[in-house]
Amino acid sequence: MNTKLAERNFLPQQYETTGALEINHNYLQPQFADHDAILEKIRGLVIRGDFTLGREVDQLEDEFAAMAGAAHAIGVGSGTDALFLSLKALGIDKGDEVITTPYTFFATIGAIVTAGAKPVFVDIGEDYNIDVSRIEAAITPRTKAILPVHWSGKPCDMDPMLEIAARHGLDIVEDACHAVQATYKNRPAGTLGTLGCFSFHPLKNLNVWGDGGIVTTNSDELAGKLRLLRNHGLINRDQCAVFAYNSRLDTLQAVVARHLLTKLDHITQSRIAHAKYFDERLGQIPQIKIPAREAAIKQVYHLYIMRCDQRDALQKYLVAHAVDAKIHYPIPMHLQPAAAYLGHQRGDFPVCERIVGEVLSLPVHEFITREQQDRVIALIESFYKG
Amino acid sequence: MQVPFVGLQRQFHDLHDDLLAAFERVGASGMYIMGEELERFEAAAATYCGTRHALGVANGSDALFLVLKALGIGAGDEVITCPNSFIASAWVIVAAGAKPVFVDAGEDYNIDAAKLESAITSRTRAIIPVHLTGRPADMDAINAIAAKRGLAVLEDAAQAIGARLGAKRVGALGTAAGFSLHPLKNLGVYGDGGLITTDDTPLFERLAKLRNHGLRNRDECETWGYNSRLDPLQAAFAAVKLKQLDRWNARCREIAAQYREALQERVWVPRDRAQEEPVYHNFVIQLERRDALIEHLNTCGVGTRIHYPIPIHLQECAAGLGYRAGDFPVAERQARTILSLPIYPELTQAEIDHVIASVHKFF
Repeated sequence: MNTKLAERNFLPQQYETTGALEINHNYLQPQFADHDAILEKIRGLVIRGDFTLGREVDQLEDEFAAMAGAAHAIGVGSGTDALFLSLKALGIDKGDEVITTPYTFFATIGAIVTAGAKPVFVDIGEDYNIDVSRIEAAITPRTKAILPVHWSGKPCDMDPMLEIAARHGLDIVEDACHAVQATYKNRPAGTLGTLGCFSFHPLKNLNVWGDGGIVTTNSDELAGKLRLLRNHGLINRDQCAVFAYNSRLDTLQAVVARHLLTKLDHITQSRIAHAKYFDERLGQIPQIKIPAREAAIKQVYHLYIMRCDQRDALQKYLVAHAVDAKIHYPIPMHLQPAAAYLGHQRGDFPVCERIVGEVLSLPVHEFITREQQDRVIALIESFYKG
Repeated sequence: MQVPFVGLQRQFHDLHDDLLAAFERVGASGMYIMGEELERFEAAAATYCGTRHALGVANGSDALFLVLKALGIGAGDEVITCPNSFIASAWVIVAAGAKPVFVDAGEDYNIDAAKLESAITSRTRAIIPVHLTGRPADMDAINAIAAKRGLAVLEDAAQAIGARLGAKRVGALGTAAGFSLHPLKNLGVYGDGGLITTDDTPLFERLAKLRNHGLRNRDECETWGYNSRLDPLQAAFAAVKLKQLDRWNARCREIAAQYREALQERVWVPRDRAQEEPVYHNFVIQLERRDALIEHLNTCGVGTRIHYPIPIHLQECAAGLGYRAGDFPVAERQARTILSLPIYPELTQAEIDHVIASVHKFF
């Protein structure tokens, strides 16, 4: 039998809705309550036998591309694979370097390494995103691409990054997994670089009920490559043009994504409204720091991340009072055991290293109520009053 | 009468209530990545296959790929497999960074173990025998060679879940095995899914991390990994179907027996060896006038397919490997003469009779 299941499958714990917590990051149970329409459509595709890259995937790709303002969208197996396949579509391989941030989820770096390349880190700014002013110093003759992460749903400072990329002939692969519907100077995240990568992980702003992802691009050529790469390199049932991968968005999950896409404006607006309320109220608390909000940038608050004094104690206090406060994430990528071979040490990226000790995320999804927000605020106030 | 090549909607009607209950249960749990539903299916699959461990992954290709990576196979290594499989059997080797080395098929479509040893070099690290059409490869011979040469044996059991060789099921016949849960497989889900089985606990522990970003716990990454997880929703569907699998496979063997009995005078038909219990994912006949029979069966309303018309070594993607037509004469001949007839548990006797009568009419 399988051993050590509890330790091995720890991941669900990170978004588990336990009876103990009342204000959760996980909103999937209320979301599922409205599943009748989805179930009818799933029944239809099961009866049609339409399971793999079927009609619903085509339709989702068209609708997502239109929503995101891109010429093409290509559904894939996960946000991780969106990044990995994008790098492979650009021909990135052994000996290449890709510039990115040390403050991100593991998949960003996993995609670079599994593509064969070396991740080269650049420190972040106070807004949690890559510090664009430090990028140029990290470029070497082996640099092939920049992989900015629009962390928490806030687009990076793309204009100067695009200028640097153009000057050095680099591609930009946007990790927009947090940033669906975010905009930078009115241009949508995911369309600012060569390729944009989105995750449909269950807890993303636009999600499915399993793993899923999508890539956006304005390049016909890259879209064609990605369609080959995600489906065994097959040009038809019997002919294989290139040895490639299997990474397809399930047709069943495309049904879920299409349904939730119709609610995305509401989801985004709710998150923005909840974040604004937290900003106003938590901004009054001297021990809490809220990152500067910029008029030219529309953030979509996949995560609402504040910085706070006595972070660990505050987290413990909130969880003890049934609020699902989380840390995204406590250990930067360059200090992970998996990064040991890169030879980094503490002190290499001081802004990132300081910030990971201060960040705390509060739930702001569309099912959170004003009363719940008030309760969270009151708890934080009472924590600091001691 | 129309006899479609696949008939998945019939299976759905039979299991509708159980599948719907699984959907409602997983949906209401709010647990859509890993968790209990997946663990329950993994435990059931390990018990079924007779292995210590089973691990759900995103698809059958990833199952093989992840095992190669977990075995440390990469650049400079060679892995032996057969050229007459689905393309994924070879690309997983390429994707892992290694070189696929092909060995010709035997008459039963499986890798010809007698030709195996001459393909082994100092760079060979593993053999991937494919249990093609649901028939176990010649594992005794393959395992003996592998043991002598210190090679890992990775079963490509994508088409063969439930098949037996002697007392053991496929999945328990090598170092590890990769299964596909693709909708058209004997145990299929409603999307992409895959499964790895192994008795090797350290290998299993590495695989469990590799499929999930290489994570040791929520916050620490031990090795940069992949995201290749079986969705709990699909695992719950698979668990419902696993309970039916032996019954379904027995029915496929029964249909195969009818086809064999009725068609053996007209075409080459597959036969079972002693000690072996295949599951007939496909029933593949051979005849010279294959293309004419396809046309004829088509007009009779009988769906057929070719698994597969172009051997992997002659695909455009394999150009860099340096093979040419004539290198694998058995696989190349079979690619011109093979034809798969409809075979799935829900076929009615009238449909089976119609397939048989239609083939006879051709002659």
